[in-house]
Amino acid sequence: MTDQGHQTNQDRKEFSDEAGSLWRIALAPSVWAGHFVLCYASVSLACVRGLLPIEATRLSLIAVSVIVLVVFVWQGWRAWRQWAPERGHPSALSEGKAEDRHRFLGHATFLLTLISGIATVYTTLPLLLLEGCR
Amino acid sequence: MTSRSLSPLRPKPEGPFPPTEAMLDEQAPQGLDSDSANRLREVWKTPTGWRYWSAVNNSEVGKWYSLTAFFFMLCAGILALAMRVQLAAPDIEVMSADRYNQFFTMHGSAMMFLFAVPMFEAISIILLPGLLGARDMPFPRLSAFGYWSFLIGGVFVLGSLLFDAAPRAGWFMYPPLATEDAGPGSDIWLLGLSFIEVASIAAAVELIVGTLKCRPPGMRVNLMPLYAWYVLVVGGMILFAFPPLIAGDFLFELERSFDWPFFDPTRGGDPMLWQHLFWIFGHPEVYIIFLPSIAIAAMIVPTVAQRPIVGYSWIVLSAVGTGFLSFGLWVHHMYTTGLPTLSLGFFSAASEAVVIPTGVQLFAFLATLMAGRIRMILPMLWIAGALAIFTMGGLTGVMLALAPFDFQVHDTYFVVAHLHYTLFGGMVFPVMAGVYYYYPFIAKKTLSERLGRWAFWLIFTGFNVTFLPMHLTGLLGMPRRVYTYPEGLGWEVTNLISTVGAFVIAAGFAVFVWDLLRPKGSQPLCPRNPWKAGTLEWAHDVPEEPWGMRSIPYISTRYPLWEQPKFLDRVEEGRFYLPDAEEGLRETIVTSVIDARPILVQRVNTPTWITHIAAVFTGGAFIFPTFHLYTPAIVSGVLAVCAILYWLWTTTARPPEADMKDVGLGLRLPTYVSGPESCGWWAMWITMLGDATAFSSIVFGFFFYWTSNTAFPPPDALHAGAGAVAVAAAAFAAGWLLTIAARFTNRRGRVGAARAALAAGALSTCIGAAALIVSVLPLDPTSHVYPALMWALMVWIVAHAGVGLVMQLYCLAGSLTGKMTPRYEADIWNVSLYWHFFAVSALVACALMGPVARLL
Repeated sequence: MTDQGHQTNQDRKEFSDEAGSLWRIALAPSVWAGHFVLCYASVSLACVRGLLPIEATRLSLIAVSVIVLVVFVWQGWRAWRQWAPERGHPSALSEGKAEDRHRFLGHATFLLTLISGIATVYTTLPLLLLEGCR
Repeated sequence: MTSRSLSPLRPKPEGPFPPTEAMLDEQAPQGLDSDSANRLREVWKTPTGWRYWSAVNNSEVGKWYSLTAFFFMLCAGILALAMRVQLAAPDIEVMSADRYNQFFTMHGSAMMFLFAVPMFEAISIILLPGLLGARDMPFPRLSAFGYWSFLIGGVFVLGSLLFDAAPRAGWFMYPPLATEDAGPGSDIWLLGLSFIEVASIAAAVELIVGTLKCRPPGMRVNLMPLYAWYVLVVGGMILFAFPPLIAGDFLFELERSFDWPFFDPTRGGDPMLWQHLFWIFGHPEVYIIFLPSIAIAAMIVPTVAQRPIVGYSWIVLSAVGTGFLSFGLWVHHMYTTGLPTLSLGFFSAASEAVVIPTGVQLFAFLATLMAGRIRMILPMLWIAGALAIFTMGGLTGVMLALAPFDFQVHDTYFVVAHLHYTLFGGMVFPVMAGVYYYYPFIAKKTLSERLGRWAFWLIFTGFNVTFLPMHLTGLLGMPRRVYTYPEGLGWEVTNLISTVGAFVIAAGFAVFVWDLLRPKGSQPLCPRNPWKAGTLEWAHDVPEEPWGMRSIPYISTRYPLWEQPKFLDRVEEGRFYLPDAEEGLRETIVTSVIDARPILVQRVNTPTWITHIAAVFTGGAFIFPTFHLYTPAIVSGVLAVCAILYWLWTTTARPPEADMKDVGLGLRLPTYVSGPESCGWWAMWITMLGDATAFSSIVFGFFFYWTSNTAFPPPDALHAGAGAVAVAAAAFAAGWLLTIAARFTNRRGRVGAARAALAAGALSTCIGAAALIVSVLPLDPTSHVYPALMWALMVWIVAHAGVGLVMQLYCLAGSLTGKMTPRYEADIWNVSLYWHFFAVSALVACALMGPVARLL
């Protein structure tokens, strides 16, 4: 080990970066889940409890979907940059280097953001296609 | 010594990591070979004679676990055969309707709770240490405790059939049928299976911590075997899926035993709450079964293709994505319950969306196979069968996810056909592939190729003969769960075909059982790596050695056997880590979560009987209430707690004999860590996540009643006493702060202050619990669901306060006897973590019982 102190500092920074990207892996599906629960809960309040007007609920939920999708686009763009497919063998990322792990987490986050985006669009479809409670 | 207690020295890993190629090329130190191997062998030796059953090693516990689960599966299969005989022809009476009800209830319950989920745990307990090059799981005694609990619970639940007392309200136990059912059947289901669910959660904690912390040095997250990724995802799903069911069981059993009307509409209850809680568990459950089985395929496919998997990140995506999406599907079991159409739409959409990640993994497998040179080995035959059958089940799944189609076939044999296609294709066939693939790893012998092909074709053909016509039976309108049917409805022929097919499946399983159990003493040992696989587990020893791995390797690729030069020689010659056991202790290496940097030598536990004692008494605490024997149940519960405390006190987080240990390749590691670096802290964190989910389910119940019933809380309701609830909230908050204060002062060497904080915290906990009990005393829980729910919240919080109190006293005793010191402080870290979770749930409960209930 050439410079112990320098090395430790670098490790710490590397780790906090990666702890962040590990969290970002789960971010998109968690946002999907939050959106899903919000849709389910507000429609129940509107249609079962009768607290909210259904039409306004429906339109607000559609607006929330749009915001969620914008977040996903931003998140997906960040993940794409972390993955950096232009830097060669995009599918492998199978070596024991820090850079491979870093790019792997970017790739996985990108794909999960994509699937969460699709799932959010799916959840929004009933809001667009069905009107009213019945 | 004084300097140590004032500013405790916490050693860090020392020495070079990662090792260079030159270091690995050096000769192993002299005398390492036979002496160290003997020491290691001695330490890990499996007990012999009757003491064999005290073993806790993952290989033994895993074997018992999987054979027991397999035995329960055969029992459940025999129930299915008996049902098929009863249904072979119209208007016959091979068995009574009541017995038929017991049989179909137990068939489903046993297949789910006694076979599918435990089988995942069993297989993972066997394989995971091998896949990760670890010597054992981080908490071997926890695995053993889980196994013995599973055995007791399984025998109890299944044994009830022999006394004609089995549950008979269907495997999803819908109220009011199940709540009103006379006899102990429903109680056996609720309490017996809750007991097993607790064991499942224990196993999930073990597997998650194992995957996160016990990977070999260098195995970063992007190098993990795919099976480990799936274990992580499924473990996480168990934590979020099982607790709602446990919370549901808790409410259900309170209704059965004490007449608290959670599901009784005449007193404000609602049977729909059970359906929600059951299916929030029940649908993810399907994926909890499916994902680990498909994970086996992810291990076999690269071996068959003799090349690395194509689309590793894509498979990780689909595992994680499926894990999440599977929680948005539960209402597709409840399409016909009258929910708003828009709500049905959300669940229908999510049910269609989950197809995407599921499909991605199958396409990644196909791409791997197309890119490689396929050798059609026997396990691949089973995988091919699995893909064919699962795809069929998936297609009917896409149909059933559409609410209008489901309205037509709801509760018909079409659904039965669909779910058997998904479960046979998604679980049974891949697991069979896994048995053939991993048998040489487990038993060091191979199964018969010829018998294996016979078993495959019998089961594959029999399966399709049984279940393909069942789609038609269902479309013709035959409902599920009827014990017989009249002539002339057009159901006779398809039913008879299904019955014949069922016996063909049974013949296939008979061939398999014979192959599995036939004596193989004269058969030669298998080659070390019979399938020429590239993953770490095939570095096992033939003939068997008890240590798991001669030395714990440094990993820098996904397929070390293919891609790391001289890998096997280096493992073999003990050139990697921990090739010896100088202190005569069982050890494995703990690494960091993301990059697997070595951080600790973990001492793991040895064979014991305390796990059996703890399991028997825990079993008593669950089983006696089935027969309304509450005093023996309480005595059992107390004894179980004592046994567990003895086990923890004598063998966990004890100060080690030396602070650092040389693990080889110039690396020195600490032997004791506390807080987030330790396995125990992670186990507590994960357990409490599950516990918090269960508590959230009860809170969900509160808001569910409020949403579905405008008279909740009833306008004239008596609320929990405001003053007492406020006192409870303040006392629990104080208990929490004092526990945290104890951790800080202890760490700074102010041991006296820490002890005082713990004692005051314990007192505070008692005051909080007493105040909460007092707050609900004027309420009559049998009169209406609202007071019943207040009581249920009180029971939940007071029970957890009891655990919190025991933990505070445990730390206090540890501090007084020198087990816990400013340097060796793992206990107080774990206890304060428990208290964070408990404090949040206690304060939420107090808020609900106090202001929220009054405002709504």
